[in-house]
Amino acid sequence: MGVSNKESRLFNEDSMEEDDFEEVGSGSESEEDSEEEGDVKLDEPSKKAVYNRDGIMDKLGDISWPENAGWVHKLSVDIDQEQKVDVNDDLTRELAFYTQALEGTRKAFEKLQSMGLPFLRPEDYYAEMVKSDSHMERVKSRLLVEKKKIEEADERRKARESKKLSKEIQAQKLKERAKQKKEDIESVKKWRKQRQQSGFAGGDKGSELDLAFEDGKPFERSNKKRPFVAPGDRSGGKARQGGKPTGKKPKKREIKDSKFGYGGRKGSKKQNMAETTNDLRGFNKDSLTSGNKKRKR
Amino acid sequence: MGKKRKQSEVAVLEKKEEEVAPERPKRTLSGWKEKKDDDEVKPSESTAVFRNKEKVLVTCSRRISYRYRHLMLNVVDLMPHCKKDNKVDSKSSNGATLNELVELKNCSSCMFFECRKGKDLYLWMSKCPNGPSVKFLVNAVHTMEELKLTGNHLKGSRPILTFSSDFDKDAHWKLLKEMITQIFGIPKEHRKSKPYHDHVFVFSIVDDHIWFRNYQISVPHNESDKIARGGLDKMTLVEVGPRFCLNPIKIFGGSFGGPTLYENPFYISPNQIRALEKKKKAGTFVKKVKAKTRRKMHELENPLEADEFSEMWKE
Repeated sequence: MGVSNKESRLFNEDSMEEDDFEEVGSGSESEEDSEEEGDVKLDEPSKKAVYNRDGIMDKLGDISWPENAGWVHKLSVDIDQEQKVDVNDDLTRELAFYTQALEGTRKAFEKLQSMGLPFLRPEDYYAEMVKSDSHMERVKSRLLVEKKKIEEADERRKARESKKLSKEIQAQKLKERAKQKKEDIESVKKWRKQRQQSGFAGGDKGSELDLAFEDGKPFERSNKKRPFVAPGDRSGGKARQGGKPTGKKPKKREIKDSKFGYGGRKGSKKQNMAETTNDLRGFNKDSLTSGNKKRKR
Repeated sequence: MGKKRKQSEVAVLEKKEEEVAPERPKRTLSGWKEKKDDDEVKPSESTAVFRNKEKVLVTCSRRISYRYRHLMLNVVDLMPHCKKDNKVDSKSSNGATLNELVELKNCSSCMFFECRKGKDLYLWMSKCPNGPSVKFLVNAVHTMEELKLTGNHLKGSRPILTFSSDFDKDAHWKLLKEMITQIFGIPKEHRKSKPYHDHVFVFSIVDDHIWFRNYQISVPHNESDKIARGGLDKMTLVEVGPRFCLNPIKIFGGSFGGPTLYENPFYISPNQIRALEKKKKAGTFVKKVKAKTRRKMHELENPLEADEFSEMWKE
């Protein structure tokens, strides 16, 4: 009951200051996304709020330690915060805290050092820690897992990149080869033209090339003037004839071979097996039955 | 039991001694446990006489959620000078019972974690016999168990408390700073404390909230001998946790009650926030209904004229 009463009171308050709160609500939602729980504030300070400065200072005087209490008792350090920190920017906020802590420890360390007091624990000082060993083990394993994950992702990325690169290199190579070929052909054509222009002179000089293209040789088939060869055909009609016994089969033949089989003994293909013997689909039913009847009689 | 009697005897003895010869060597005082509160220490005594005998009672209300309970346990772990007590019934826990409890436990201050509705955590800090008390709303809680917080430090080593300069800006911040130093600072030469300093607390005011962080001070191992020179630069901090953010709501003059000294003018209770959200969600349907009725009214008010051509094609 107490709770419901309270809530109803709250709602009443709401309705009283509806406009004021509406704005607050709209502001609050966006903030809540950025920070868990959300740090919601009123836009304007409420006027009813109590602030009794004198009372506070009195209390402060009451509870505070005597002036002569040394710094060693407090161990507190004040650090200047250089600039305002945006609350919703998690990174800068945490960084501000970190720098504050670091500066504080440095100052405190200097003070302690000047007093000749121990600061960090020595290596051989073992004592109970805040977090148990098993917990630290878990922390460690998690760190390792994360590291491994990162490494794996890195490797995958590298592999992907290298694949891309190799592909590019391959393409480059092919291009180069094609270019090379073209150039070769080009040069040969050029050479031929030159020779034609010079009227097949210098043939008897005995150079190898000249010999190879000597026209009058009986054993050399003339590459140039063959009957029934199309002028653009570089193979000189050989492709059409299929006369050249190449090591490779045509692609179509290969596919067909893989489909229907090639080579091997024919007999084993034609023999019956248990399955084929039992398979009576190919027979006429009527003829089978009639045959049996005949045998009975 | 024997011990306690001895203490009281000693106290009596000391008082007598003081009456007779106030400038006696301090040796006698510093050696014994004294029952007087810290603020009663006489100014005539020299600095070495001051002893911090803070004892903090840490309790929580019933029906605290596990996360907040863990936070409380973390706080207990961090403060060897505290006493943990059973859960206190939140409904019946007016100030008187809590004050009584603190007195029973011989403590001089109290931290009371109050959980409401299983989701809102309020933290009371109070100086107990007659000091002020503060009520905070606790936000953004991360406990020490979280695996992202990888640091670790000695249990019971005295922390270095760092405060941002904003704490000196206003009276209530000053008061809060003093209370925090007294409650979170571990008394020097406390019997459960350890003589080294390997962690640091951060209290920083951002956006009118007090943010708390706890870092481990770590120096590379081989450097720790020569930390005086090079090691200081290589000092790094690793977060240990817990994390939380305190939003001060009110400061009272007494402990768990008394006149209000300060009220946060910007504070909205989480109940109000939730109510607003609910209202907003309810608003969509209400809006739709309203629009419909408005349309109807509009149609009734401005009826359409009968179409003169409507009968034209019927023949």
